[in-house]
Amino acid sequence: MSDKPGTGTDRRDFLLKLGTGAGIAAITVQAGASMRSLVPNVSYDSPTTVKLGPTSEFPEGLKFLPDERLFVFRDGNTFHAVSAVCTHLGCTVHAEPLANPQTVDDDGAAVKLTHRFLCPCHGSRYRGDGANVSGPAPKPLAWFRLSLAPDDGQLVVDLADAVEHDFRLTVG
Amino acid sequence: MEQRTSSPYPRVDRVVLAIVGVVLVIGTGLFMWSDRAHDWRYYQLQFKQMVAEKFGDDKAAVVPGGVQQVWAADLSRADRCITCHQAVNYKGFEQAEHPYRTHPVEPLKQHPLEDYGCTTCHGGQGWAIDTAAAHGEVAHWEEPLLSRALGETYTLAGNKNALMQMNCNTCHRYDRQTAGAGAINLAKSLVNEKGCRACHVINGFGGTIGPDLTNVGEKPPEQYELSRLSGQRTAFAWHVAHFKDPRALSEGTVMPNFNLSTEQAQALSMLMLSWRRNDVPARYVAGAPRTDPRSADELKAEAAMKTGPGGWFVQTGCFVCHSISALGVKSPAQIGPDLSTAVEDVQSRFGMTLDAFLANPTGTMSVVLSRQIILTPEQKQVAIQKLREAFAEYQRQRGTPVTSISSK
Amino acid sequence: MRLPTLLRTKPEAPGVHAEPFWSFRPQSDREAGDAIVSNFALHWFPAKISKASMAWNYSFWLGTISAALFFLTILSGLPLLFLYVPSIERAYQSVKDIEFVITFGSWIRAVHRISAHLMVIVVALHLVRVFLTGAYKNGVGRGQQREINWVIGVVMFLATLFLSFTGYLLPWDQLAFWAVTVGTNIASSIPMIGPGVRELLIGGRNIDQATLIRFYVLHVVFLPGLLGVLFAYHMWRVRKDGGLARADADAESVLESSRATEVVPTKTYTLLGVARGTAPTVTTRTLEAANTTVNAVPDLTRRALIATLGTIAVVSIMSVFIASPLEEPANALITPNPAKAPWYFLWLQEIVTDTTIRIGSFTLNGAFVGGVILPGLLVGLMTFWPWIDRSTHLAAGVWLPRDRRRQNLVFLLVVLFVLALTYVGMELRGPYWNFYWPWEPWPDIPGRI
Repeated sequence: MSDKPGTGTDRRDFLLKLGTGAGIAAITVQAGASMRSLVPNVSYDSPTTVKLGPTSEFPEGLKFLPDERLFVFRDGNTFHAVSAVCTHLGCTVHAEPLANPQTVDDDGAAVKLTHRFLCPCHGSRYRGDGANVSGPAPKPLAWFRLSLAPDDGQLVVDLADAVEHDFRLTVG
Repeated sequence: MEQRTSSPYPRVDRVVLAIVGVVLVIGTGLFMWSDRAHDWRYYQLQFKQMVAEKFGDDKAAVVPGGVQQVWAADLSRADRCITCHQAVNYKGFEQAEHPYRTHPVEPLKQHPLEDYGCTTCHGGQGWAIDTAAAHGEVAHWEEPLLSRALGETYTLAGNKNALMQMNCNTCHRYDRQTAGAGAINLAKSLVNEKGCRACHVINGFGGTIGPDLTNVGEKPPEQYELSRLSGQRTAFAWHVAHFKDPRALSEGTVMPNFNLSTEQAQALSMLMLSWRRNDVPARYVAGAPRTDPRSADELKAEAAMKTGPGGWFVQTGCFVCHSISALGVKSPAQIGPDLSTAVEDVQSRFGMTLDAFLANPTGTMSVVLSRQIILTPEQKQVAIQKLREAFAEYQRQRGTPVTSISSK
Repeated sequence: MRLPTLLRTKPEAPGVHAEPFWSFRPQSDREAGDAIVSNFALHWFPAKISKASMAWNYSFWLGTISAALFFLTILSGLPLLFLYVPSIERAYQSVKDIEFVITFGSWIRAVHRISAHLMVIVVALHLVRVFLTGAYKNGVGRGQQREINWVIGVVMFLATLFLSFTGYLLPWDQLAFWAVTVGTNIASSIPMIGPGVRELLIGGRNIDQATLIRFYVLHVVFLPGLLGVLFAYHMWRVRKDGGLARADADAESVLESSRATEVVPTKTYTLLGVARGTAPTVTTRTLEAANTTVNAVPDLTRRALIATLGTIAVVSIMSVFIASPLEEPANALITPNPAKAPWYFLWLQEIVTDTTIRIGSFTLNGAFVGGVILPGLLVGLMTFWPWIDRSTHLAAGVWLPRDRRRQNLVFLLVVLFVLALTYVGMELRGPYWNFYWPWEPWPDIPGRI
């Protein structure tokens, strides 16, 4: 055998390692690149800013908007909106009217609690202002910013803009 | 010559294998049989015999067999009802028993079978071919067949077949009156007469005291509060009971009891459940959207009221519930008493003066005045002034001396 | 006795199989071995098998039954592949068509569904059996690596559960829609990477067409492929590790007894025998001793046939009488009440309900604790158990040995706990996931009309 210790074996060894290593590296990158196609670059989301209709369509108390999964509360001419998406695992909570509404202080603003919210999936319960009371829900229901559309004065919600519990939209 | 290793197993295992094989054959037979055992095969056989008796074997030979379907592509409805109800388009069986009866011709002229299918009007589960599933009497199917039998379980006061009109109104919701839909027509006239819009938004306009009713038919049944309801536990039953006595079903509601008859309450309940999101193509929808059209006379009368002596009451919104006949204001709903005599009437009803009542209203008026019609103290003074004028006018019209106010 | 000379057209030579086919009624050991060697379907069988491994009441043949159920789901899935439309507009309708107007459609769907349900049960029982008998432990054979097969088995169990999960999403009914919502929100509850994982799973931020097609491809291509490959490897390892652990236990009793066991001469099928190396000592002395083994053909094949055909018979008869439910069409606007997962996930649903942890103002979502950490710990512990188990090799392949009493007890307690939670979820949770005792009536869920 012409095998001399050192040079020959080293070179063959190196070439083998180079070939195998380069092959594996390249295939890994290619496989990774093909898998990258599964990470979505766009999402077919509905817009987060939604016109909800003229304020005259909102009754006193609560109106549930299933499309936006949103509760809009009206107290005279002030409005606020509470999300209907359970903070635990995203089911839609149901509103249950209370026999004896009460008023509580919440973040420095008075809130009239007319309902409570119950989640059908894992039994989370929320107070009428969205505060999580029992069950697995880790945090309160989100409140979203309401505004009036500059063009036609419709009520507009921004589902990407969570606000504090003292938020109120007052309509003149 | 090597022998095979002896084994203790074959004796029992062979028997077990044989039994398993037989069971498997039985299982195979079972599922073949279960596919043959659909009742539509029986109905098709019967119908063929009926045709043969009445029209001869030639006609019977061309009656189609197998699963039949009407595919209304625009409505995405595949209705297999005609698999059993083969006589739908077959003249001559007008008096036969279901499912062998010919469909009345009149409604089909306006609503061709191939455009509308069956379930669009009748309800039920068009996909199914077994009676119970097709008639929607199964779990997870919320659109039962709106049949006479179902009407009878609700002991409908009028036409026992009327439940089907709910589906008419999916497309005809903007019609004032729809030919053939008596119960829905009754309910629609009640909506105008009783002034539901005083408190409720319907099709985009109305008051905000009660909930928006535009899509009230979409409300999921489990969101109804049924603890005070006796009898059938359905959304429809809830509406009927609620219309007859709102306070009995929902404590503390300000909705008045209109003393509706059973027929009226049932008709209104049908109307409520028919107000659903409309997912039919526009060409299927009759009438104009958003508002109920008003006649020229009605519009003229309303304009006259607005500019007349009682104009203030019209603009403020009092007229939605109250007429002020002395000033020529006529309420479309007349839920509340005529305000022409309010000065006297308040005293006798509530035991306080008009001034005191407006400052601290009770009952329904406390809700209205705190939520829908919010008056400043100045406006309340105007209201009192105007109501005194109205009373004076009332007395003038009746010919009674004005001094009677002070005598009270 | 040889086969009739009529059939013998060529002279015999070592390693050459004269017969183009094989006999299920071999007359000699040689012929029995040939039936394995020259049969493609049986090539992964051993030539001989210990009587101990054949026992009905050792393995209960749960592995064979699992495999039979797996192939039943594949076979019944094939026609469904042609009939089902993976589109959010048409999926529900196509399943209704399968149910109502496809000839034998509802039966095929029921076979698919019932085999899948039974597969979850049987695979789980198989796992319990392997644990309780310590069958993941190496016995006396050289080069055995049964731990690897245990890990493969755990992965196969998870694949079975994921197959079920992806499967019940496909009809796109209410159950499906809210199961995806809850399932992917569990993934989303992982800190930092969660929302990204969810977006990857559902192909966007909303549950939509992209979600359905992803789960569809997972269900019909990726997961069955994975399970198929793992199944092949699982069986290969069983052979490599010398068959069931029961055989090792049996061999040991032979070794320990003073009974003289003659050395059997090596034959061609010995090469197909057991473990690594050309002549595993244990094998030649015990596995082939005439009084402890039988020929795989026909004794093993007959029992495998009984198990397989029996499974098919049971499933096909059940499928005639148990209809497959289909809930209302998926509706993003209404969450059903109560919204329950299928039975095999109810213990998880119960756990995510109960594990939200509050320490002062700091809150850890139960979705993460109960949906990710706890199941993750359980699976991790299960995976590495063979390396934690310190019992001797004598405990391999024996039901409930004294040596492993404590760990078997703990394992059974965990199993019992999971079963208890499943029962609570199935029977004791009513609307709004409220707790009701069996004797308490649920409030009626009303109908529409």
